[in-house]
Amino acid sequence: MKKFLAIMLSLVFVVALCGVTACDPNTPQTTEQTYDITVWVSETAGVVELTQQQINRYNETNEIGVTFNATVEGVSESESATQMITDVESGADLFFFAQDQTMRLMEVGALTKLGTKSTQTVKETNDASSILAAQVGDDLYCYPLTSDNGYFMYYNKATMEGVNMDSLEDILAKCVETGTNFSYELEGSGWYNAGFFFATGCTSVWETNNDGEFVSVQDNFNSANGLIALQGMQKVLKSTAYVNSSDAANFTAAVPSSVVISGTWASNTVKEALGDNMGVTDLPSFTVDGKSYHIGSFSGNKLLGVKPTVDANRAAALQQLAMFLTNKDCQLERFNAFGWGPSNLEAQANDAVAGDPVLTALAEQNKYAIPQGQIHGKWWDMAKAYAVGTKAAEMGDKVALQAVLDTYQESIDNAFNVKEVWTYIGKIASLNTDWSTDFEMVQDAENANIWRSKDAVVLADGDEFKVRFNEDWDNAFGNGGGNYVVETAGTYYIVADVVAQTITLEPAA
Amino acid sequence: MKQLDTLSYLKLSKIQKIGYKLASFFCAIPKWFVGLFLKLWGFIKAIGLKIADTCVDIVKTFKNGSWKTRVSFLVMGFGSVMFGQWLRGLLFFAFEVVFIIYMIFAGAHWLSQLGTLGTKLPTTEDVYNPVFDDTVETTIPGDSSFKILLYSLLTIFFIIAFIYTWRVNIKQCRINEEILASGRKVKSTKEDMKAVLDDQFHKTLLSLPLIGILVFTVMPIIFMILVAFTNYDASHPGNGYANLFTWVGFENFNLLLDFGGGKTFAFGEILAWTLIWAFFATFTNYFLGMFVAMMINKKGIRLKKVWRTILVITIAIPQFISLLYVSNLFADNGVVNGILLKLNIIDKEHIIHFWGETGQNPWLPRMMVILINIWVGIPYLMLITTGILMNIPQDLYEQSRIDGANAWQQYTKITLPYMLFVTGPYLLTSFVGNINNFNIIYLLTGGGPDNPKLIVDGTIAGDTDLLITWLFDLTTGASANYKLSSVIGILIFLVVAIISLVVYNILPSNRREGDFS
Repeated sequence: MKKFLAIMLSLVFVVALCGVTACDPNTPQTTEQTYDITVWVSETAGVVELTQQQINRYNETNEIGVTFNATVEGVSESESATQMITDVESGADLFFFAQDQTMRLMEVGALTKLGTKSTQTVKETNDASSILAAQVGDDLYCYPLTSDNGYFMYYNKATMEGVNMDSLEDILAKCVETGTNFSYELEGSGWYNAGFFFATGCTSVWETNNDGEFVSVQDNFNSANGLIALQGMQKVLKSTAYVNSSDAANFTAAVPSSVVISGTWASNTVKEALGDNMGVTDLPSFTVDGKSYHIGSFSGNKLLGVKPTVDANRAAALQQLAMFLTNKDCQLERFNAFGWGPSNLEAQANDAVAGDPVLTALAEQNKYAIPQGQIHGKWWDMAKAYAVGTKAAEMGDKVALQAVLDTYQESIDNAFNVKEVWTYIGKIASLNTDWSTDFEMVQDAENANIWRSKDAVVLADGDEFKVRFNEDWDNAFGNGGGNYVVETAGTYYIVADVVAQTITLEPAA
Repeated sequence: MKQLDTLSYLKLSKIQKIGYKLASFFCAIPKWFVGLFLKLWGFIKAIGLKIADTCVDIVKTFKNGSWKTRVSFLVMGFGSVMFGQWLRGLLFFAFEVVFIIYMIFAGAHWLSQLGTLGTKLPTTEDVYNPVFDDTVETTIPGDSSFKILLYSLLTIFFIIAFIYTWRVNIKQCRINEEILASGRKVKSTKEDMKAVLDDQFHKTLLSLPLIGILVFTVMPIIFMILVAFTNYDASHPGNGYANLFTWVGFENFNLLLDFGGGKTFAFGEILAWTLIWAFFATFTNYFLGMFVAMMINKKGIRLKKVWRTILVITIAIPQFISLLYVSNLFADNGVVNGILLKLNIIDKEHIIHFWGETGQNPWLPRMMVILINIWVGIPYLMLITTGILMNIPQDLYEQSRIDGANAWQQYTKITLPYMLFVTGPYLLTSFVGNINNFNIIYLLTGGGPDNPKLIVDGTIAGDTDLLITWLFDLTTGASANYKLSSVIGILIFLVVAIISLVVYNILPSNRREGDFS
């Protein structure tokens, strides 16, 4: 019995040990060129099947002998980004996503940088706006799939008959006259309303560094041209025909819309709603002070991302597959099947693509479009705010509109701590503050290292404070690391040497 | 507060009586809480004593036990095997071996990182690949804060399980020694095997569900609570491919509750609306549903079945369809505004924004959701109350009529007390359910209109947002703010728990069980 037990116990030990070693993730990779991968593509009917076919074709035609056992799943573009963000490790190896998700995906490390040769190929074969969309810092992090994420104007030919579709004023007048609506999602998102600023030549360009962090913004919305843009936008916002929406179903709403500003994704809904009366064209122009401005827009892209991986061979193979899935032929197949506008320059030149009415309208509008590039996630809300403010202002009240722009400028400035100043903060009885407010300091004119409190402060025994940079506790000092504690009450200027990190109290005269 | 005797209570006027009752209710709350804390303290003390007892027992067992028992302190199951219970011994030993191996190869690794939640960031490297004639970026993942937290928690559970098993192993030896000392025989393995299907069958049945609850319910809850003390969000995903997250103490609570800050107290406002909503959603449905049921039940009403069927049709359509439909109905360009426009009751400049607009009066959309909730909710209440109303003994009504009671008196003295007694627990659960009523709000207004004053950590909340829809926005939005969501989750639990406990204890169904039986 005891012998049996001894054998059993040692067996348990061995089995347990094996169990642990089997879980060891560092078992060597085989050199066999077959990879099991997961691919997340758009949910649109047929995309899964087409992608599967394309991957099969890659398996058959590639000369290196790589085979992919691909599981292709339909996951909507926004959902795929969210899933990747929730859990990169169990996410798909290749995934479709919309451009506005790029920075979120960068933030969680879900994208792999393109190799030098691939980068060059992508840059040579795709249009400029799609390259900008795939670029973070100096490098490309994703592969352009489409170049059709823009917006333009759908309208009902029946109600808009005889109207000059290039004049915003005429269109609005006709809408009011016929009791129909003008759907333009101005208060919903900066994506739609920024077009008025682009019309007048304003730009908002956000720059990212190679780590995928935003470093600066060049924004001139707060200018004379910006004021013109808001005046134009106000014409729409104040019109009784205006509806804050981009839903193509509005053509058949109880109070129907005659015009809906939307993108390629809405074309089927519009076709169903209007039939032969479907009109589609670029955005109109608005007139301020006798001068006419064509409303601009953002142009954007769908992209393909590749999940990071440790194995260099696998990474290389995935990179090749991604290049294949975004090449001219695959993009054209997608255009033929689903009407997705290609980003590939050769595919764009294809007759069928060039002749598509919706894509033609988009191409027409793209002449006035700004490539979306990478934009700070908070910007959309900031941009939303100026539309809301403009609607609240009196018609044509330039002072109120300027105030709206000033508020916008302030929120842009606040997006980065661009002030670069030292302040003091603490528990100071005479200022009635308890570590809640920062007080201004002024840089010494002669010695840049010296910062002096702007006003003289009445300090009592036991008052404590620190000075800090850009309201950031990571860059703060008092008496060394601790608080500076006042020992002798009096009225002083607080003087800080920010290099030596010392504080002195200078009695006020 | 002074307790009045019956005589002086009866002397009070009607309003004074109500005031007295209210006052004594609110005065009782602190006492009730003191009672609760005393109970809790008693519970903790009892656990402490139990642990102390166990320790004493363990020491005693070691002192008085034979060498077989003493070896069992180190080699689990040794005693059991020596006493002839080889299956038990084997299981104990196997558990010890698995535990030690797990701790050496995995557990210790995870636990050692629990304090920091990881330090190693991912690294990338560009490698030239000759086959494809191109460079590729490879990524060596860093520490995953998420996994560290999860597996540390599992390890802690495992350690607790181990200590418990170790204790059982020692106790077994002691019991066996006692049995042998008294001259009886210890249970053999065969008997053990039989026992799990016989007198120990409850343990066999319960072991699987218990493990299930621990792993799938208790663990995730504890994990979620721990997340509230980290900075886990989109910029600190802790997934091994980007930034780590780490412990931040009570910072998230501070951020949400904003102690001492001068900003708008967003959490307070949303909580207040959540409670207002829950109150109205519950009681309007309850009383109106009861009213409708009574109307239909009334003698002399014809076509009772038709009325009921009409109301029940609302239930037949899936709620989310009818809610989305109603949401479109009252939209700015929806049917209602369309008809009003056609009838020239309003003009295009004065469209009614049923779902509200940023910066305008929030009470119209709020009233709308309550009203539509009445429409969806009444049929259910009608069905529930119809049955109960029919159950009330008719002789009570007859007697009261003879005594000269009018309809209102009959309602307040017979119907309502009976209803409250039977449906009290239902009222409580539906109140709690309404606090977390995601569907109605999300499908009707989506929480909107956005209120710029209600911004916490960069995410904007709307005027009709409940805590639960706000939590949804926080987790699914761009910021993936798991840390704050977790704090909100904890606070919702506290609110619901306190309300449930207080109300449940004053419910007549709980206090006077015998009244209506």
